[in-house]
Amino acid sequence: MSLYLYDGSFDGLLTAIFECFADRRQPTDILNQETYQASLLEDLRPIQTDIAKAERVIKGIDARSDGRGGELVYQLFLSELTGIELRIYRLVELLVRQNDPNILENYANPDVLYSAQVSKMISREVHRMHAFVRFQKAANNIYYAVISPDFNVIPLIGDHFQRRYADQRWVIFDTRRHYGLYYDLTHTSFIDVESDILSGATDAFVNASLDGLEDQYQQLWKQYFQSVTIQERRNIKLHLCHVPRRYWKYLVEKQVGRDGLLSRKN
Amino acid sequence: MNRTLEKLTILSDAAKYDASCSSSGSKRANHNKGLGNSDGMGICHSYTEDGRCVSLLKILFTNHCIYDCAYCVSRRSNDVRRVAFTVEEVVDLTINFYRRNYIEGLFLSSGIFKSADYTMERLVRVAKTLRQQHSFNGYIHLKAIPGASPELLHEAGLYSDRLSVNIEIPSETSLKKVAPEKNYPDIITPMNYLSDEKDRYQDDKKHLRKTPLFLPAGQSTQLIVGASPESDLQILHLADGLYKQQRLKRVYYSGYVPIATDNRVPLLKAPPLVRENRVYQADWLLRFYRFSVDEIVSEAHPNLDLEVDPKVSYALRNPEKFPVDINKADYEMILRVPGIGVKSAMKIVKSRVHQRLNLDHLQRMGVALKRARFFITCPGSQHQHKDYETSRLRQMILSSESAVRQSPQLSLFG
Repeated sequence: MSLYLYDGSFDGLLTAIFECFADRRQPTDILNQETYQASLLEDLRPIQTDIAKAERVIKGIDARSDGRGGELVYQLFLSELTGIELRIYRLVELLVRQNDPNILENYANPDVLYSAQVSKMISREVHRMHAFVRFQKAANNIYYAVISPDFNVIPLIGDHFQRRYADQRWVIFDTRRHYGLYYDLTHTSFIDVESDILSGATDAFVNASLDGLEDQYQQLWKQYFQSVTIQERRNIKLHLCHVPRRYWKYLVEKQVGRDGLLSRKN
Repeated sequence: MNRTLEKLTILSDAAKYDASCSSSGSKRANHNKGLGNSDGMGICHSYTEDGRCVSLLKILFTNHCIYDCAYCVSRRSNDVRRVAFTVEEVVDLTINFYRRNYIEGLFLSSGIFKSADYTMERLVRVAKTLRQQHSFNGYIHLKAIPGASPELLHEAGLYSDRLSVNIEIPSETSLKKVAPEKNYPDIITPMNYLSDEKDRYQDDKKHLRKTPLFLPAGQSTQLIVGASPESDLQILHLADGLYKQQRLKRVYYSGYVPIATDNRVPLLKAPPLVRENRVYQADWLLRFYRFSVDEIVSEAHPNLDLEVDPKVSYALRNPEKFPVDINKADYEMILRVPGIGVKSAMKIVKSRVHQRLNLDHLQRMGVALKRARFFITCPGSQHQHKDYETSRLRQMILSSESAVRQSPQLSLFG
């Protein structure tokens, strides 16, 4: 048994992979110390995160994959799937062993196929966030949205929203992972629950509901959504396939009452 | 507010029969630190309960109309409440919906009030206001009104991402019957004009450093299926010609929804959804699977088979071309196998460089083996199909797909 224990960060995982290669050992598993359940019987190797080593691993991956591997490995990491660390290790090992960038296109290889499938799941979740984020404008002129995505996609969606909403300040907050993004008209940065931008939000929403404009646009949108449905073609099964129920809580048009996003339970 | 709500209710209801929903294919990046960005793929922000994508704020500017087309809810002789937006109302709705991430942009159509130019001028003014006063880089799709002047069409091309003129009825004879004030030349003329203008700008690009964007997402149109007697052969030939000659980006097909009793159009119990789906599948074969119209429908088989999809139908009519050897056949032939889509076909040709592929590999890659297995050879496949008569093969495919056929409408990614 050789268990590597890392701190849960992406750099930590890359450091662990670096150490596996340095030790010339096949890891039995690479585990996140945050979620790891201690057991006396196991041979544990705790890893100290080392940015320099992590960078060497990423460079090595990119060099052997025409620059495609680094991004892929990061996507896999953000999936937070059980056992993803060992899958990533195996993919890195494959790239090192084959030294052929096109090996990432051999879908007959189970590790390559699995990576492609997870990568597709992540891309789909990113795309859904692009689609299903709904902003509410508060009295402080900041547009707020809350999400709780299946995967940890916050680091992957900032660019899209920054390009699109370059002239408005906005916040997207992941209530499941307790962090989010704030764009201040110049930069997008990560924020956590302690951020002033969030603590000011409640007052700002009370004030916004006083002038009623936010509510009006939500009503108009709901009405629009109702009107464009062709009753003769109603097909709820297809509807649910495109908009699974777990995303409804984001969507203004799927809410019956008049309550705002922030007062809604996740 | 209540006034806007009423207008929105009426004018979105009247616009919903337009099937076009695309917001992709433009190149309008947000360079001016303005609002919006349209250089990526299209996004469906929601889906209606009939399962169609909601990507754009799709509304009519007005439902007043001087024409009397039998298939249209807004026709002059229909007794409905008539309203019209102002330019400011449309701009305000678009901006505020966009800022909340409800939409990718605006799809603005209209009934014809007073004249073609009078109507077109309003639509252009909305687009111009959005672009110039609000630095809006979201997606704008306008209707090109048949009979509008070239100057207005040109201006429309400068401010919008896509323009469309709907043909609606797939032959001129039928069009005359249901829409007496319309004719094909009036529809095709603006299409040709816009296509030529787009070419001219493309040419300029070779000599000039900076040229304005002109219809970056091209043109589209819509054909109604089932409101007139045309065969699928006629419909697909028309579409194919529009793709080749007018270089349209998309032809949409709308199964005729019986909207009112007008004795010039048939009284259907329900919209012909399965036929609509088959026509879309055939359209996909033309655009992404390198099929020609003649391979899909012919004088002998002028209509698409409603029981099996057009690719299966092709395979059954051409047994000599199958089975296809997964490890050796050209990409083109792999694409023709029922149950193998563009993505699977790419995966197959990329992976087989590294190793020989067997049936298990195909299954894991996502090939629909319940159809494909009758038409391929690879390690693990059985050559059973050789022993079957075409009619028996057809029965086998039908029985393995019966679960799918029982669903009320085939899933459709328009």
